[in-house]
Amino acid sequence: MLSQRYLLKRGLPMYIQHAEAHRKPRWLPVAKSKIYRIPKRPVVSEDERLELRRINNAYNTQMRAIRRFYVEDWVREKSSLESATSEMSQRLEADEWLKCEELNDKWNKQIASNREERRKKELEAMEEFALLRMEAKDKALKERIERASEKIKKEKELSTTFVTRENLEETIEHVLANPIDYNFAIDSKGNIYEGRDTEIEYEDKKKVEAAN
Amino acid sequence: MPLPPASGTGKYYALAAKSIRLIRQGCTNRPFFHISVTQRKRLNSQPVIEQLGSYDPMPNINNEKLVALNLERLKFWLGQGAHVTSPVAELLGLTGFFPIHPKSYMTSWRNRQAEQDRLKSEKEAVKSTA
Repeated sequence: MLSQRYLLKRGLPMYIQHAEAHRKPRWLPVAKSKIYRIPKRPVVSEDERLELRRINNAYNTQMRAIRRFYVEDWVREKSSLESATSEMSQRLEADEWLKCEELNDKWNKQIASNREERRKKELEAMEEFALLRMEAKDKALKERIERASEKIKKEKELSTTFVTRENLEETIEHVLANPIDYNFAIDSKGNIYEGRDTEIEYEDKKKVEAAN
Repeated sequence: MPLPPASGTGKYYALAAKSIRLIRQGCTNRPFFHISVTQRKRLNSQPVIEQLGSYDPMPNINNEKLVALNLERLKFWLGQGAHVTSPVAELLGLTGFFPIHPKSYMTSWRNRQAEQDRLKSEKEAVKSTA
């Protein structure tokens, strides 16, 4: 079973389904049907037992030798590795280090020049962009001023026809003298007849009268 | 969060005992095993240190049970003093890396005996009917 400490301190919050999960728990008693069952002991004959003991002993001896061989092999390899780290290999390493440094410097220079170029380009692009924006803003402002001045001009022109305190009487008289009738009639052809009392001239009077 | 790789995490306590064992990776009714080195106290469901090979116990169409082994790493871990469980020791015995395991000898002579007994009983049955 996993210990509580492991569950709390584990690196991964995993849930693993164990094979034991669907088996009978240890604390349940023996099943009723199996309570008096005595499992059969395996019968091993004396010859077989002796033979097994012999081959097991032989196997264990051989395995011990093999294991020791591999351990010694490992120790030998380790010691050779350690001796290799002295003097000669250190000099080789230093040379390698110098080479690496040179290469690194070269690459760094290359990268620095590339970066400088790139930054110049970026700066130019930024300046261009800013100038374009400024121009666009100036243009928009100018247009706005023009539109406003046009509007003012129009209003000034219109102001000549305004009714003021001075020409109020005159205007009233003028209006009373010239009444305008906005009423009009329209026929099915779309002709407009302005005025309330305008006489309408029909094309064929008789036909219309007959229809009425 | 991903699960730890079945091929091994490479993390272990230097002083803990190691064990080279079979770890079941197949599904229901389809056994498949990784031969892995783990810490000896760990469960088979826990992350392993390193995978050393695989074993497919179901015979393929050519009636072969396939075993793959990384012998170099196996040697290394044996040099580190890793324990080898008996199923793995049997497999290694059959591959010729270790001496033949006593259990292999035992099963083989028992199977041989059973076969002989079967043949004998068949012969007797034929005789009694004739």
